[in-house]
Amino acid sequence: MALVELSSVTYTYPTTDKPALKDINLKVEQGEFLAIVGSNEAGKSTLCYTISGFIPHFFHGDLVGEVQVAGLNLEESKLNEWVLNVGLVFQNPFNQISGSKFTVFEEIAFGLENLGVKRSEMIERVERAMELTGISDLADRSPYSLSGGQQQKVALTSILVMEPQVFVLDEPTSQLDPIGAREVFEVIKEMSRAGITVIMAEHKIEWVAEFADRVIAMHDGQIIIEGSPQEVLTSPLLPEHGIGTSRYTQAAKQARTEGLFSETTPLPVTLDQAVAGFSGGNHED
Amino acid sequence: MHQKLSFYVDRDSFLHHLNPLTKLTLVLTLVILSFLGLSYWLPTIIFLFIIIPLSFLGKVAQEFFNATVKLLLPVVGFLFVMQAFFHPDGTQVIFSIWIFDVTVESLSFAYLTASRILTMVASFLILLLTTHPSDLMSDLTRRGVSGNLSYVITSTLQIIPQMQVKAGTIIDAQQSRGLETTGNVFNRVKAVVPLVGPLVFGSLVEVEERAIAIEARAFTAPLKKTSLREIPDRAAERAARWIFIGVIIIAIGLRIWLL
Amino acid sequence: MKIEINNLHFTYPGEIIALSGINLSIESGEKVAIVGQNGSGKTTLVKHFNGLLLPTNGTIRIGDWDTKDHSVAELASRVGYVFQNPDEQLFNSDVKSELGFGPRNLGYDDDRTEELVEDAIELTGLDNYRDTNPYDLSPTWRKMVALGSIIALDSPIVVFDEPTTGQDAQSVEVIARIADELHSRGKTLITISHDIDFCAENFERIIAMSEGEILLDGSVLEVIAQEESLATTFVDPPQLTRLGKELGFDQTVNDQASFLGAYRLSHEQN
Ligand SMILES: Nc1ncnc2c1ncn2[C@@H]1O[C@H](COP(=O)(O)OP(=O)(O)OP(=O)(O)O)[C@@H](O)[C@H]1O
Ligand SMILES: Nc1ncnc2c1ncn2[C@@H]1O[C@H](COP(=O)(O)OP(=O)(O)OP(=O)(O)O)[C@@H](O)[C@H]1O
Ligand SMILES: [Mg+2]
Ligand SMILES: [Mg+2]
Repeated sequence: MALVELSSVTYTYPTTDKPALKDINLKVEQGEFLAIVGSNEAGKSTLCYTISGFIPHFFHGDLVGEVQVAGLNLEESKLNEWVLNVGLVFQNPFNQISGSKFTVFEEIAFGLENLGVKRSEMIERVERAMELTGISDLADRSPYSLSGGQQQKVALTSILVMEPQVFVLDEPTSQLDPIGAREVFEVIKEMSRAGITVIMAEHKIEWVAEFADRVIAMHDGQIIIEGSPQEVLTSPLLPEHGIGTSRYTQAAKQARTEGLFSETTPLPVTLDQAVAGFSGGNHED
Repeated sequence: MHQKLSFYVDRDSFLHHLNPLTKLTLVLTLVILSFLGLSYWLPTIIFLFIIIPLSFLGKVAQEFFNATVKLLLPVVGFLFVMQAFFHPDGTQVIFSIWIFDVTVESLSFAYLTASRILTMVASFLILLLTTHPSDLMSDLTRRGVSGNLSYVITSTLQIIPQMQVKAGTIIDAQQSRGLETTGNVFNRVKAVVPLVGPLVFGSLVEVEERAIAIEARAFTAPLKKTSLREIPDRAAERAARWIFIGVIIIAIGLRIWLL
Repeated sequence: MKIEINNLHFTYPGEIIALSGINLSIESGEKVAIVGQNGSGKTTLVKHFNGLLLPTNGTIRIGDWDTKDHSVAELASRVGYVFQNPDEQLFNSDVKSELGFGPRNLGYDDDRTEELVEDAIELTGLDNYRDTNPYDLSPTWRKMVALGSIIALDSPIVVFDEPTTGQDAQSVEVIARIADELHSRGKTLITISHDIDFCAENFERIIAMSEGEILLDGSVLEVIAQEESLATTFVDPPQLTRLGKELGFDQTVNDQASFLGAYRLSHEQN
């Protein structure tokens, strides 16, 4: 059985009539890295909230269908137990601070204090997590006086350190510099290799293609396509629904219309594919 | 810029090394003594001969005087004036303005109220200046106080500095769009009005955001919490706390007996 | 209106050195992107433009004003700054009053204010949200409100701090169009962004920062060609620039048109 499973999930926020999720069916296996792409308001965050239990336990509203993680049923569970299995990094990086800590180190340790982790182990885990995300030098800084990207990395590290079985990330690299963003993808990929299930909403198509095992694209509360990164990210459905594609894909499509890119070569999403595709086209005629 | 969200000053002092509960018990003792009305001058004596020396002992004297002058004195002063004018009884009129009389009785009552409030707030200030908020929270939860309650206690104690930060942020945003909030008194007063709404609304939003943020960090998980910071609690401190409680009981007893 | 910065140093309380010796001048009507590592001082630098921060050392002049001689409110008539975090910028209870707040403070009459607000609504596409409380909007729309509230100031210098974060392809396109429009109105436009593709496609000059200093400053093509120096600011060259390089193009390309141009050329040569 899949570790995460949503069956016919439809959800409507209490303040609206229009469902934000419509008939979602989704299975994610243990250790899989699933990426969610989609335009603004597509329902990515709503899906993240649902998997991590904040819907329906924090944002009430109307949830129909079934959500299961590790055999547990969401509606029958309590949020404070659910979060022990499923960790969520929120989309807004600026308001995830606990409010009672004075250093970044203490802030990251907060989750482990709540989990009752022994002090010596706690220190070890916090240090390791900060090293992974490259913020060791911020350890003694106040969590309130950081740059935007630094805040986002602290928010990410604060959940990562808790080592949830299912790790849900809602646009965790939006404020990060390009190399920092790639490093975060690498760290998360490592975690998924180690058996943690990763579900991540992201706009950075190039890195999604490079690191995700599977991609779903959302529009208007629905999953419009699901499959391998290559398959989904080059699908004509994406631009049709206002979802960004990589520059490589766009350039190859344009080149194709001019007969400069082979019709049989799959459209490239990553740099390597693009190099292969474009140099292939070069030698063909 | 606006990075201080708490009164806490990180120093290495005797007071800093005390268990938060010990300090809390001490503060409560001082507050109860000031309000019991055992003696007219008691609040003043406590302020001058206990609280001020404590601020030196805690190596936070400068911050203490700063906060007292900027934050406390205006409020206490205002209270004093109000009481002096509007206290209903009193016969020995010292002077009057319009229909309001300032009498010996109203003056003496005003002084008593003001000195009590001063002593109460100043005692808490000493606690806040020398106690890491999360230590107080951890220590309370460790002793069986519910996580939610200790969070509420801790965040209430931080409310003033948090508001200051929030206000600073809003003022920056308003100035950046042309609202003059500096310069003459008129500008400053005028700027308070557009500040209040966002401050209240923003604080409410923040409460909800905080709630969800700490929920995600398993704050309400049904597990026994641990603490990163080691919180000392020596036998001597336990003894001291019993002594404080003893003092409170005796003081209350005295008060009843004297009645 | 010219921006001139001389040997600017800035240290936050707690001895946190954020800027160490910035020299920079930006002419009237330029379109500049600032890129660089997290924590390299980009936000700190632009907060000096409207006086929110004052130099620890050095000077900064906006036109004929030294920022330390003028209040933030006065500087708002010359520099509009869109905060990185929209939550720190928005404080009104509906979108329309949020957008009107600036122009009213600057002393524009009702007609002019109305005109500026309508213009900002049109540019940002906020038409359906006039009466919505900004807090009820999604983070991406809140960012649009923040942009609108500054556009409505009609200041000659406009600074955007990370306008594209979290925006989908269409909204990034909207922001690019806003940038074009403001540029064509003769405004100086300065944008901080981590989206180097966006910068390369839409700006003329790129400044790359690292650890409180400016490491690279030049035309887009000059800057994106320097892969190694860029890497020290934690920025990769744009996707198509990297591809062009891998394919062995002679010249640096910055967008699809220049990439395809170069590709055709190399194709014909083969
Ligand atoms: N708290 C809320 N209350 C009411 N409606 C909401 C709430 N949050 C989101 N919505 C609505 O639900 C729909 C899906 O929004 P959601 O935030 O999940 O989209 P998203 O894909 O995450 O978009 P973005 O890329 O902008 O983050 C939208 O129509 C949005 O307006
Ligand atoms: N309010 C503050 N108090 C103290 N230090 C600060 C404050 N704001 C930022 N800093 C520090 O100053 C340095 C520069 O921060 P700044 O916000 O300018 O970076 P940035 O280039 O905008 O980064 P990002 O891309 O992450 O937004 C960082 O080390 C940061 O931690
Ligand atoms: Mg979202
Ligand atoms: Mg910044």
